[in-house]
Amino acid sequence: MKFVSFTIARPVLTLVCLIAAAAFISSCSNNDPVKEDTPELITKATLTFTPAGGGTPTVVTATDPDGEGYKSITVDGPIELATGKTYTLGIQLINELAASSDPEFDITSEVRQEGDEHMFFFGWTNNVFSDPSGNGNVDNRNDAVNYSGGADSKDANDLPLGLTTTWTASSAAASGTFRVLLKHQPNLKSDVSDSNTGESDLDITFTIDVK
Amino acid sequence: MKFFIFLFVLPLSLLAQTNCQLTISGTLFSKENETLPGATVFVEELQRGTVADVDGKFSITALCPGKYTLSIKYLGYKDQVETVQLTKSKTLNVVMAEQDEVLQEVVVEDKFKTDNETQSVSVLSGKTLEEAKGRSFGEVLREIPGVGSIQTGPSIFKPVIHGVHSQRILILNNGIRHEGQQWGAEHAPEIDPFIASNIVVIKDAGAIKYGTDALGGVILVNPPALPVDATLGGELNLRANSNGRSGIVSGMLQGGSKKIQGLGWRVQGTGKKGGDYRAPDYNLTNTGFNELNFSTAAGYRKKNGSIEAFYSHFKSNLGILRGSVTSSVEDLENALQLEPPQGTKDFSYTIDNPRQEVSHDLLKLNGEWAAGKNVYRFQYGFQTNKRKEFDVRRGNLYDIPSIDLKLFTHTLDIEWAHNGTVADRSVGLNGMLQDNNNIFGTQRIPFIPNFTSASGGVFFIEKIRMGAWIVDAGWRYDFKHYNVSGYDYKNAPYRSQLDFHSMTGTLGASRGLGKYASLSTSLGSAWRPPHVAELYSFGRHQSAGAVEYGLLLDGSEGVLDINKSDYRNENALKWVGSLEYNRDKFSVEVSGYYNYIFNYIYLKPSGITQTFTGPTPYFNYRQTDASFLGLDVSAFYWLVSPLKVTAKASLLRATDETHHDYLVFVPSNRYELGLRYEQKQHRAWKNFYADLRLKYVARQNRTPAYLSMEQLTALQDAGEPIPSFDFMEAPPDYFLLNYSMGISHNIGASRIDISAGVDNVLNTRYREFTNRMKYYADDLGRNFTLGVKYIF
Repeated sequence: MKFVSFTIARPVLTLVCLIAAAAFISSCSNNDPVKEDTPELITKATLTFTPAGGGTPTVVTATDPDGEGYKSITVDGPIELATGKTYTLGIQLINELAASSDPEFDITSEVRQEGDEHMFFFGWTNNVFSDPSGNGNVDNRNDAVNYSGGADSKDANDLPLGLTTTWTASSAAASGTFRVLLKHQPNLKSDVSDSNTGESDLDITFTIDVK
Repeated sequence: MKFFIFLFVLPLSLLAQTNCQLTISGTLFSKENETLPGATVFVEELQRGTVADVDGKFSITALCPGKYTLSIKYLGYKDQVETVQLTKSKTLNVVMAEQDEVLQEVVVEDKFKTDNETQSVSVLSGKTLEEAKGRSFGEVLREIPGVGSIQTGPSIFKPVIHGVHSQRILILNNGIRHEGQQWGAEHAPEIDPFIASNIVVIKDAGAIKYGTDALGGVILVNPPALPVDATLGGELNLRANSNGRSGIVSGMLQGGSKKIQGLGWRVQGTGKKGGDYRAPDYNLTNTGFNELNFSTAAGYRKKNGSIEAFYSHFKSNLGILRGSVTSSVEDLENALQLEPPQGTKDFSYTIDNPRQEVSHDLLKLNGEWAAGKNVYRFQYGFQTNKRKEFDVRRGNLYDIPSIDLKLFTHTLDIEWAHNGTVADRSVGLNGMLQDNNNIFGTQRIPFIPNFTSASGGVFFIEKIRMGAWIVDAGWRYDFKHYNVSGYDYKNAPYRSQLDFHSMTGTLGASRGLGKYASLSTSLGSAWRPPHVAELYSFGRHQSAGAVEYGLLLDGSEGVLDINKSDYRNENALKWVGSLEYNRDKFSVEVSGYYNYIFNYIYLKPSGITQTFTGPTPYFNYRQTDASFLGLDVSAFYWLVSPLKVTAKASLLRATDETHHDYLVFVPSNRYELGLRYEQKQHRAWKNFYADLRLKYVARQNRTPAYLSMEQLTALQDAGEPIPSFDFMEAPPDYFLLNYSMGISHNIGASRIDISAGVDNVLNTRYREFTNRMKYYADDLGRNFTLGVKYIF
């Protein structure tokens, strides 16, 4: 009983629609939906490690051009840092499905404006950095991460935000992974809220090489 | 023309008299002018009888001229005896008096007959319906064995009949096919139970007259008939619940006209407000709701015909548990561990995101004209359904709905019914036009596309009496045309034209077995055209961190052409057999069924995609063959005069036949045992009852296995197919104890009913398998209820 083309249906539809439309104008209107902007979609995340005192920044990106399509995100890298050097990490999030002139394009500024309900958490392989030490605050909020280095480090309530952070690579060569987790914590963010609080807006993992 | 009819009819009627072909037919009413479906009419002289149909109508045929004694019985009403001297066929209107001295509850499931007498039918009416009316529509239906629900928290109930739901159940609200966004698991029917005087559930496949989609069954919500006399009457209902601190006010006023005989009107309205519900150990934050409904009706009835207009408005605002918000599997796995759920706060009436704002309007016009044995009916309905869903989103998006839909539906039904002496016939046409619109501004790719659709069908039903047997057969043809336009995952536009058509048929038979028992059996086929949501839905939908793709969407290639896909129409073949035995102190009804659904559409987990929010499983709508085998039992036994034992059981086994696997969201087996005490009268007080019920719900062992994210990722990495899975183990079995009592008092011509009760008396902690909130929180704790009803 597979469907077959039923050609009578269309003229019938048109006719009945006309009759019905006379009674109810709102019905049978133009059927095409208007294209929506999709500001929640992040298609590209860029991590820029700028060395203190100048030098070429280390830049890595994660991209997901098909949004919620089947295709997984692609992550480049590794993040290559020089031993013992201090870096300022800036994170930029954009939605390339919107035109670059649209406010929806720049997700970073949105996160900045709502700093009091967002927080970046970081997780990494032990000993990749000398400062902060440890493995990050994904597993335990009180573990060290340097929310410093710029105005975007903290939110309006002086709680960590993390659009800008400071890192010192370990003095010996090391390698491992580096995870960035952005949590949306509306009415939930506090000085004890952790990486299990709220919803994930971003969760990406890069490989990292210190040499 | 009339002359020819006369010439034609005259010899027939002469023939009839000599051949015992006379008929007594009629309608049964209560004093409040409600029709009484399911009342029994028995001809003492012949020791045979019948049962009144949905509209309280009955007909006894093949009678010889003579004097007959009809005894009419309806639970809760005084037995009535009518003596009829029959020389020609007669029509009676019988008004039944309520039973004051005997304090009988109207039984939950009065078996009664609809147009297809051999159908398996349950009805909820009288006291049982009254007691349940303070709940939501879907929850009320759970009083019927074989009917369950898929729940999203404490206030969203979606009916499940014999294991199937959503698009596979047809709801007729006041005769009109109810059309909303019923594809969503968290979309409850937009119907106010206070509108109904009875709710009928037909569990056969292809309750042919009502249209396609009835693979699981049909639910009829019937308001009382309009009054025909000038007396002003009405009722006022007040209810309160301790859990959720909710209150309900519902009122109704009706009357007629002294000047114009046959004119009747009614206005009715309900307001509900509730705050956060409470599990035994914590608040369920953001589970409040409010609802405002009203309806108005007017009609004019003459001897041979009637015409009626009806309008109803339904509006609700529902909160969804704050702790259920997740955007990735990791979030979900966190939520599974958390108790109390994330974001739990003190009690509040505030409704915050996530929430739903839904409204539904229905305008109906219908008429009926009777000419001899023929009845002609028409009805037209116009529905507007608006749905907004608000999610927890960033910034300004918080105040913008992520789903904003407006659905318009026109329906037109025309029927010709002929009531013959041996056979009854019904022929009809149904037509429907729909227009679904996404309202711009959600700032999200629409979850379902825009569409217009035109559908129509014809049906033919014949019922034949052959000795002790009543046999009925029905046939129906339908088509549906869709014009679809939406956006795919790249936010690129697409358009499609789709056509579907198919036929269905039913065959049933029933007969009495001796004095106390009756048997009915039926076999029916049913089909349904797919819903646009099953073909084209895309994205996340207030659901557990998963992305859904419709049947015709592919996450890598965009939109598929249906002719190149392997889509096939969903078809069901369902058998239902019922045996009923009623004798003095004991009554039992057993009903078994087997429903095999070919090309059953379901959400299949297909894989995991790495997104910016972390690993996210994705589900595709896919098709398989599914079977549902079950048994419903309900019985009562009078231990001693005022004390009655009641028992109910619903058993179900559902299987994915193609993959030899289980299906998701199938209700587990459940049993109920009750003890009811009834006191006839104490001075001015009467109708006292006290009812204690123990419910046991078994664990659902037949469910897809629990797989953790690590296990899923491992499977994906190894290139293995992802099997059906669930995000957690099925919750354990549980017992619930409920208590209720009530009493009535007459004040002159008016009456006051007072009721009180406790749900979950022992404050048991439990989680229900078919409640989507089970992942995040316990189900409801103890609830005290109080109700007052004033009827005048």
